[in-house]
Amino acid sequence: MTEHSDSSQLPRDSFQDGRRDSEEVVIRQGGREFLLAFYAALKNLRLYPVENVQVQRALDDVHSTATALLQIETEMEVKLAGEFIFVNSTRLRIGLDNYSSFSHILSTLGQCGIGSVDVGDEVERREWQVLLSLILTFAPREADPNKLTDLRRRLLEGGVTHISVEPPTASEEYADAEEAKEVAKRTYEQSVAVTKDVVNSVRMGRTASIKKVKRAVQGVVDQVLRNETSMIGLTTIRDYDEYTFVHSVNVTIFSVSIGKRLGLSKLQLYDLGMAALMHDVGKSRVPIEVLNKKGALNDEEWKIMQSHPWMGVLTLFGLRGYGEIPYRGIIVAHDHHMKIDLTGYPKSVRQRTPSLYTKIVAIADGFDAATSRRVYQENPIQPDQVLREMWENRRRGLDPALVKSFINLLGIYPVGTCVILDTYEIAIVHAANPNLELSNRPLVRILCTPDGATLKQGPVVDLAEPGLEGTYARSIIKVTNPAKYGINPSDHFV
Amino acid sequence: MQVLVKGLRALQLYLPNNPIYQKAAENIRVAFEPVWEECAELNLLVTESEFKWEDAVVLSQPDRADSVPWVLFKDGLRLLTLSPGIEDEEIVQLLDVIHRARGLTGDSDDDLLTLLWEQDFQFVRYVTIELGEEGVPPLEPSESGLGGPEGPSDEELKQQVAEDAQQPEPSPTIVSMEDFDATLYFLDEDELKYIESEISREYSQDMRGNVLSLVFDRLELQTFAAVRSELISILENFIPYLLGASDFRSVAYILGELKVILGRARELLPEHRRQLEELPARLSQPEAIGQLMQSLDEAVVHPTEEELAGLFSELRAEALEGVLEWLPQLSNQRVKDLLENAAQRLVQAHPDQVAKILESDNESVLLGMLRLISGLKLPTFVPALGGLLARESSEIRAGAASALASIGSPGAMKQLERAIDDSDRDVRVAAVRVLSEGGHRGAFAKIESAVIGKTLKHADLTEKKAFFQAYGLLAGEDGLGPLRPMVKSKGLLKRKEDPETRACAAMALGKIGSEEARELLNAALKDEKDPLVRNAINGALREMK
Repeated sequence: MTEHSDSSQLPRDSFQDGRRDSEEVVIRQGGREFLLAFYAALKNLRLYPVENVQVQRALDDVHSTATALLQIETEMEVKLAGEFIFVNSTRLRIGLDNYSSFSHILSTLGQCGIGSVDVGDEVERREWQVLLSLILTFAPREADPNKLTDLRRRLLEGGVTHISVEPPTASEEYADAEEAKEVAKRTYEQSVAVTKDVVNSVRMGRTASIKKVKRAVQGVVDQVLRNETSMIGLTTIRDYDEYTFVHSVNVTIFSVSIGKRLGLSKLQLYDLGMAALMHDVGKSRVPIEVLNKKGALNDEEWKIMQSHPWMGVLTLFGLRGYGEIPYRGIIVAHDHHMKIDLTGYPKSVRQRTPSLYTKIVAIADGFDAATSRRVYQENPIQPDQVLREMWENRRRGLDPALVKSFINLLGIYPVGTCVILDTYEIAIVHAANPNLELSNRPLVRILCTPDGATLKQGPVVDLAEPGLEGTYARSIIKVTNPAKYGINPSDHFV
Repeated sequence: MQVLVKGLRALQLYLPNNPIYQKAAENIRVAFEPVWEECAELNLLVTESEFKWEDAVVLSQPDRADSVPWVLFKDGLRLLTLSPGIEDEEIVQLLDVIHRARGLTGDSDDDLLTLLWEQDFQFVRYVTIELGEEGVPPLEPSESGLGGPEGPSDEELKQQVAEDAQQPEPSPTIVSMEDFDATLYFLDEDELKYIESEISREYSQDMRGNVLSLVFDRLELQTFAAVRSELISILENFIPYLLGASDFRSVAYILGELKVILGRARELLPEHRRQLEELPARLSQPEAIGQLMQSLDEAVVHPTEEELAGLFSELRAEALEGVLEWLPQLSNQRVKDLLENAAQRLVQAHPDQVAKILESDNESVLLGMLRLISGLKLPTFVPALGGLLARESSEIRAGAASALASIGSPGAMKQLERAIDDSDRDVRVAAVRVLSEGGHRGAFAKIESAVIGKTLKHADLTEKKAFFQAYGLLAGEDGLGPLRPMVKSKGLLKRKEDPETRACAAMALGKIGSEEARELLNAALKDEKDPLVRNAINGALREMK
């Protein structure tokens, strides 16, 4: 399920998954009942005086459902993490029958600054009434760092000793990040699938679904706006076999991210994303044997390969009737291998000025292509080297201001770069440092300790963290080829 | 909910400036007030035929044809959350999206969700399920990798890292902050301005023009026959689309570039050459021109004269006939004027086609052409116009006479003499007036014969006036003799003329304008009782002053 507009997609839940132990099932069921009762009590308390029968009944339900859970474990913890609620570490399933209640609880507790509610086994019914009333009092108040402290004090004054409320913890932030990663992954998967569908449809002479393309691009734009780090991380996927599709999605992510940096509006990012996703659609008309040929292409094959920009024009004209001609996409598909002076290929004789979106896509395309392993490029170039070439070699014909923006986006060590630290640790760049002045000090994930011990899911460390004597705790001494160590950078982003 | 549904109907039936539309929108706004008193936001669970709020069905519409829940449900929307503030503007946008989504078919480029997304709502949230994406393979980490069973031991790895760290890098990266200007990491003011201008240019560029330009580049530069066929087909299909969109400038550009391609493209197959050559001709066919004229007449925004001129300058001569056929049928005066000017340019550019049309039997085309020639005063076509004076249609003869009159050359006047004997009174009148005003003496004999003889006996006053005035203008003093007896009201030996003839004779004397003519008129006035004649005499005397 996907929620749009102000929240991210919800995680995939398999309702058929029955392989859970019985206790977890009971907690999940009990937790759900407790939260629904909690929601009903909040609602009734807001509408009616405490003496009201419905309020009393709702409080009874809260107490009884909590008591039932406390019989399984002597303590109960209700924890909020991103879009999820955990009861005693069991994540509750969000379904259509409880989504709005759960959302309401998440937002109300969040407004109070509550990250978790801990309940002892001797909790009294009266304590629930105090807690709920205080939550209703504190939630609408303006944001204040002391809100939770005040709430706690009022709980104690109200004689609530078996329920405590705690602020969100780092692990919840981690859960948020994990959730964001999941959503980004799903957007990525869907975008690759859609691109594949379009390209294959064109190959087979079938009609491609533009609707799906639009939704995929809308998803990418949403994710770049909310969750750029996860999306950029996924561009480290450079699938050898599915290169064309994965590459198109990567170029879309990079392009939209550059556009975001340039201050484009959401709808402008969508236009840019649509053009970017379709920039290589002309490859659908390049024979498979040329597209996937291992080794060097001969002159004739290169000629065919170099026809893909204008093959893209033909394809895009044919993709739809003339109800809505994708002019911008056509221009980008045709020009994305041209330099800013319109030299390069395909050759142009009529005077035009290259469009901004074409220049953005050209940078994204060049970077992803050079850093990817392809049938005819067994050894991809390291991301930092590619950035250097883009910046220094003006004969490449890229727009310098846009290259600069791209470097701003990726940092000088782009996400996925494999580095050796001065601690002799091996790490993968996880994200650019948000402080642009520290572009050479990204956040990295440690994959190998100084002792040579490998870490499956090593910690993410900030290279800007200070060490002893005014130096940094860790610094990059060298960029290395991840293939030397059998490292697949994208494994650390999916 | 009922207010919403009613509102939806009103919003889809009426335009925003309609009072019913405005009333419906206001009703919806008011309807939200009690809702916000009850809840902080409205969460509507969407099923195939219902909206549910807190387990209660608040809207049930089982008939899918009219069902709002179904429009939402079928595209995967399952929960709709409306927040306070929606009533200000977004509710109308939301209802508009629902209305538009209802009209979409399965193969449309959009569905409800793409339309909702584009609105970028602030007060509307929705939960959807993904439909038909079961086959999407999940992203999984690879099996291999650092620390795998076949990987090096910790000690070996430590050693490898140490050795790797010692080896120099192939080339330094842009890692060293000292080596690079710190501004690399920030856009300076000029760069920011440049980016802003580029964004603005992106959205103000002539995208159609740019696309056409690259299509022509490919048509010119690449020689694959199959691709050229496809490109030509794109152009062929593009033209009607552009005309429908009133983009006449682009059509003119296409027609202009076709000539360039025909001149420059290498290895152009004869078949492609023929296709390209035929494109302007096809566009110049009467049927195509008819469509063009119709779309112009119905267009909300009309092209500039320059754009239209650009297009017509690229059309073939054959277009002229179609334009002339349609011109009288157009209802929009501005379009008519624009096309009249465009057609004049075609006439000047294609004299052969004009001559051909002047031989045409199509009366409306011919009349249109005569109007244009009249306006342009083109002497080239005088012989052909003279020929038209023999046509059966009096309208054509009148048009030809008028065109000859406008041209006013000696040759045209000579041709016009034939019209003095025309069977149609209007043609005769027009010819006589023009010839006399132009002082064309060649016509005098015929006019004199008509005035002195009996030809005008049964003519109406207008025709008599025209002939007599023409006679006065051309005869001068020599006309006094024949006119003197005519103007007198009392005959001595001879029967006096009828009042109309006396009046017309007086007018002719007025045109002669000599002293003797004045005396004659004054004398006639003394004896004259008939008001018509008296008026004519007075008028003539005034004219002489």
